Amino acid sequence: MPLDNVVFWVFAPISVASAIGMLLMRNAVHAALFLVVNFFCLAVFYLILDAPFLFAVQIIVYAGAIMVLFLFVIMLLGVDRGDDLRERLFAQRPLALALGAGFVIEIVLAVRAGIGFATKAPAGFDAVNDPGNTQAIAKVLFRDYFFPFEATSILLIIAAVAAMVLGQRKTRAVTQAELEAMETTTP
Amino acid sequence: MDDTISIPSLLQLLWLIPAIPLVASAVDLFAGKKLGRFAGVVASAAVGVSFLLSLRLVADLVSLPVELRSYPQHLFDWISVGRFSVGADLRLDVLSATMILVITGIGFLIHVYAIGYMEGDPRYGRFFAYLNLFVFFMLLLVLADNYLLLYVGWEGVGLCSYLLIGFWFEKIENATAAKKAFVTTRIGDTAMLIGLALIVSKFGTLDFDAVLGAPGDTIAKGTATAISLLLFAGAIGKSAQVPLHVWLPDAMAGPTPVSALIHAATMVTAGVYLVVRSAPLFELSGVALTVVLIVGLVTALFAATCALAQDDIKRVLAYSTISQLGFMFMAAGMRFYTGAMFMLVAHAFYKALMFLGAGSVMHGMHEETDLQRMGGLIRRMPITGWTFVIGALTLAGIWPLAGFFAKDQILEIANHTGRTWIYLLGTLGALLSALYIGRLVFLAFFGAPRSDEARHAHGSPAIMTVPLVVLAAGAVLAGLLLSTSAEGTLARFLEPITGPVPHGEGLSTLALSVIATAIALSALAVASWIYASGRVDWLGFRERLQPLPRAAASGWYVDHAYSTLFVKPGISAARFSAEVFDSKGVDGLVNGVGGGVRRLAAAGRRIQTGFVRSYALGFFLGAVGVLVWLGTRL
Amino acid sequence: MRTPIAYFIVLSGVLFTLGTLGVLLRKNALLIFMSVELQLNAVNLALVAFSRMHLALDGQVLAFFSMVVAAAEVVVGLAIIVAVYRRRGTVDVDEARGLAG
Repeated sequence: MPLDNVVFWVFAPISVASAIGMLLMRNAVHAALFLVVNFFCLAVFYLILDAPFLFAVQIIVYAGAIMVLFLFVIMLLGVDRGDDLRERLFAQRPLALALGAGFVIEIVLAVRAGIGFATKAPAGFDAVNDPGNTQAIAKVLFRDYFFPFEATSILLIIAAVAAMVLGQRKTRAVTQAELEAMETTTP
Repeated sequence: MDDTISIPSLLQLLWLIPAIPLVASAVDLFAGKKLGRFAGVVASAAVGVSFLLSLRLVADLVSLPVELRSYPQHLFDWISVGRFSVGADLRLDVLSATMILVITGIGFLIHVYAIGYMEGDPRYGRFFAYLNLFVFFMLLLVLADNYLLLYVGWEGVGLCSYLLIGFWFEKIENATAAKKAFVTTRIGDTAMLIGLALIVSKFGTLDFDAVLGAPGDTIAKGTATAISLLLFAGAIGKSAQVPLHVWLPDAMAGPTPVSALIHAATMVTAGVYLVVRSAPLFELSGVALTVVLIVGLVTALFAATCALAQDDIKRVLAYSTISQLGFMFMAAGMRFYTGAMFMLVAHAFYKALMFLGAGSVMHGMHEETDLQRMGGLIRRMPITGWTFVIGALTLAGIWPLAGFFAKDQILEIANHTGRTWIYLLGTLGALLSALYIGRLVFLAFFGAPRSDEARHAHGSPAIMTVPLVVLAAGAVLAGLLLSTSAEGTLARFLEPITGPVPHGEGLSTLALSVIATAIALSALAVASWIYASGRVDWLGFRERLQPLPRAAASGWYVDHAYSTLFVKPGISAARFSAEVFDSKGVDGLVNGVGGGVRRLAAAGRRIQTGFVRSYALGFFLGAVGVLVWLGTRL
Repeated sequence: MRTPIAYFIVLSGVLFTLGTLGVLLRKNALLIFMSVELQLNAVNLALVAFSRMHLALDGQVLAFFSMVVAAAEVVVGLAIIVAVYRRRGTVDVDEARGLAG
């Protein structure tokens, strides 16, 4: 059995299981950790799909930065305690499960009608990844997609500023009277 | 060399004749308070000027040869829609000339009288404004050269009649009488409007030339009958003929000058004018003229019996007017249009005279109108009394007063054209007329006074008595000047419009005159003996004849019948409409729609749960749906 | 590589569905947010798979951009959640019912 086939058939169930696990966990920290497992699986998939650069970026950015941020916030707010799993909304669960199932079936049917289950990845991707995947991506990124690249850089700056603004606690300036009051009371 | 006759240039001032009273009306309406007593002078002067102008213009008209005695004046284009157009056109011809002289002449005298009669009234200025407005509309009616402008005048006089009958509207009976007059004439007016519509649909125009020129070329006899009857229905309303006569006795609630001007001399004669003017249509129909004749005859007799039973001096005169108008329509129905017009002119004089006289009596008796409380007034108000007597004699038809010639000629034509029944019944009507007017005169002016007011009645001021004298002179002279015979001056004057007087064979003119005079004199003698001599207990006699006198006094219960048949159901229908249909039905529907919308919204509101996750489910549902749809299309 | 590309696509669909179920069925705002991240990742997987199939790098570049934007989004989103928590004391989305009709 070819290696990538094995890899696929090992990591696909793991990714699905970890996703289900994330769904079902009451404790938010546990759920976050399951998601991290999922991200690792996805990184492996990128690898077997001849995208080593993305494999690295996935681990660094998603598992390493985004999920860490999530865990910080979860623990800062202290909401890792149990989540009440009773469902209040009318028909939410059955409808959601039914729709989800329907959606998956649709994907399967669409794929069958489209590329078909037999198509394998064509050979020749090495020519695309010519000097190396990273260099090839760089070539495409800084030439064809230069404008979106600059736009996303601005986006990141805006996001950082927004986070700072949103995170502020409101403090007002101390008045002169209050200042004197504070000085007289402190010994 | 130019042979054309030059049209006197003053005829161009024709439009001033109605315009001057209109302007004066506006002046009195807006500046009435400031003018005070002067408002009456302004109004009278306006009508006086119109009268003088009418005299001059009629003289100019007469200076033209007979074929040319018809002067049209186009003021402006009024309506122009597609192929239908109506202009504001006036026409002075022999018929309208006669009418404008009557309207402005007698109108002027009545205005002068009213200056004295209405003195002290808080709305003095407005009274004269309305009165002048009425004169304007009446002049417009008779000077119009097309049916639409005539209809404008027709409606306008109806409006002024309503305003003036209800002038003292603080008393609810006066307002009710005004409403009754307006609504009753409205019935006729609506029929007339349908007639106008029929004219437009058949002739394509409303101009007199086109419609009355040779109607036989355009329409069939049946259509002419329909149009004529519809127009006559309007005349029935306006001229208070049976069955639309009920408003006129009640209209006596208005001030007496109003009764004299509108309900004796002018507005009620508009119906006669309409029939005479539309004669070509009526003649084409034939049947219509018979209807006119029958209606006139029935009305003449019906109203005469009612007049005999009234105790209110003005109501006697009101029923008398209805009856006399019946005679005019009888004449028209026999194609004796000149006779109708002559009677119109004569009646204007003597009926206005008697109404003004009655007003003078009321003035001197502190507004008392009950004949039973009068008596012997001739000694206390001689001018009023003797002029009234002249008027009464004219009505009774005593030679050589105008009324004699008028009535006599009509009966003569009836006799000569072989209408024996008409002649006999008409003579009966003449007898009744003499009886009721004799009763009125003898009860009011002769015999012993029957109340304190009668004993201490005072005469009226000169401003009221002078017009009485002038009118009395007119009543005396009109007959002698205008028409001592069926082919007299008036007949020849009106011939371009009315055509020749009907001819026939029968009793000689002399014989008929003698019969008529004898009947009138004997009726008056009987009346004198019963009512003035004091030797007959006529009240007791009346009691023994009950319930007939009571029925006659109430107009033979026609009012009661209308009330039960039309008024009460109408009020019920209106109440149903307002309280049930409108409140519950229409409002229910509207509120129901509102309520329904509210319920719908309340139901729809339940989708807005506020839960973000429900909305997210909605998104997902939609997304899956779209995918399914896309899938089916592949 | 011998695995048919279709399998990756189906896997991507399954993961996406699981993410959607998480958005619909969990009440904790942070968990909902994590489910959204799962959805984004599923889509990235599909992008890379198709990129492989079509022998072009555009899919990979797009996946790269998607990651960048997701990162920015997480930053702002978490800041918002913290601010909301400070105001209301809870991160239960069912408590945010103010727009109920």
